[in-house]
Amino acid sequence: MATYRMKIDGLDELMKKLKELEEEGEHIAARALYEGAGIVADAVSKAVQGIATEPFKYAKGGHKRKPSPEEKAALMRAPHGVSKFRKRLKVVDTTVGFNQSGYVDVNFNHMNSGARTNYKAFEFKGKESTASSTLRWIRYAGGSEKFGLSKDIGRHAQNQKPVGAIANAINSGTSFMDKQPFFRKAVSTGKGAATARIEAEIKKRIDELDIG
Amino acid sequence: MPDEYTSLVAALKALTQGESPDTVTLPVAENEWNPRPDTESYGIVALEFEVDALHGDNVKQVTAYEGSVDLYSRKKDGAGWIPLIAATLTEHCEGAWSLNSHQYERENSIFHWEWWFQVEE
Repeated sequence: MATYRMKIDGLDELMKKLKELEEEGEHIAARALYEGAGIVADAVSKAVQGIATEPFKYAKGGHKRKPSPEEKAALMRAPHGVSKFRKRLKVVDTTVGFNQSGYVDVNFNHMNSGARTNYKAFEFKGKESTASSTLRWIRYAGGSEKFGLSKDIGRHAQNQKPVGAIANAINSGTSFMDKQPFFRKAVSTGKGAATARIEAEIKKRIDELDIG
Repeated sequence: MPDEYTSLVAALKALTQGESPDTVTLPVAENEWNPRPDTESYGIVALEFEVDALHGDNVKQVTAYEGSVDLYSRKKDGAGWIPLIAATLTEHCEGAWSLNSHQYERENSIFHWEWWFQVEE
């Protein structure tokens, strides 16, 4: 999925104070970053709910289509919260989005070829795993669910689509589907609130430690 | 509608390549679906949402909008439209634009470039 980088500027004074605290300062910065990234993650969740859908149809002969409800459901179920923090040199960063959301099982080609059969999807519980016998929830179109080994759904493996690719197709549009930039909107409009939250969180901890 | 956006759309619609009589125009649709014309390349420009606003005297003094430009092309190099679109964005949006993604649709054998930009009103 396309990447949107959000860099927080204008916190030089606060960061200077945090550097004086060394390791404790890094923890405070990471905690504040987590709070800020959480706001963006919440905005993404809200934006996913606003995606316009229509029952699946093939986009052939120059016609366009909207995302299907199944594709929207895949995004709503997929984990897209704040990921693990990465520390490189003195920089701490994290990601929010669908790049690590794993795969969803769709029995139709979400592009424009292939035959459609009954829709089935499964969602990952916990971390994504490549193990062939991981226990997973399997949710069927009729609403029933079962908890089973992934090998039970192995025959559908060829129909698995990366959730990130579905999110990207909706966010950026394709040659047969109008774009609905839900993710870009969430990041662009959430930046102000996220920055304010990060600043407030750092100030709060500095006040608690009484180093201001 | 922000003036910067109006002028950007006009400039994109006027994009041409080559000298007459072999002048090639890029079909650009504004804010609506372009039904896959039988051309090698086509573009879509749209103003999408409000990003931020500066308030004063109980009214919005400045409003920032975000939009995007999409180029679809069957040519790997975008049939030469990429630098022209980049130059147009620089001219009308100054520095507030970026190439957001470059993708390939395997099923339709078409390349897709997406730029986002911000304009003010």
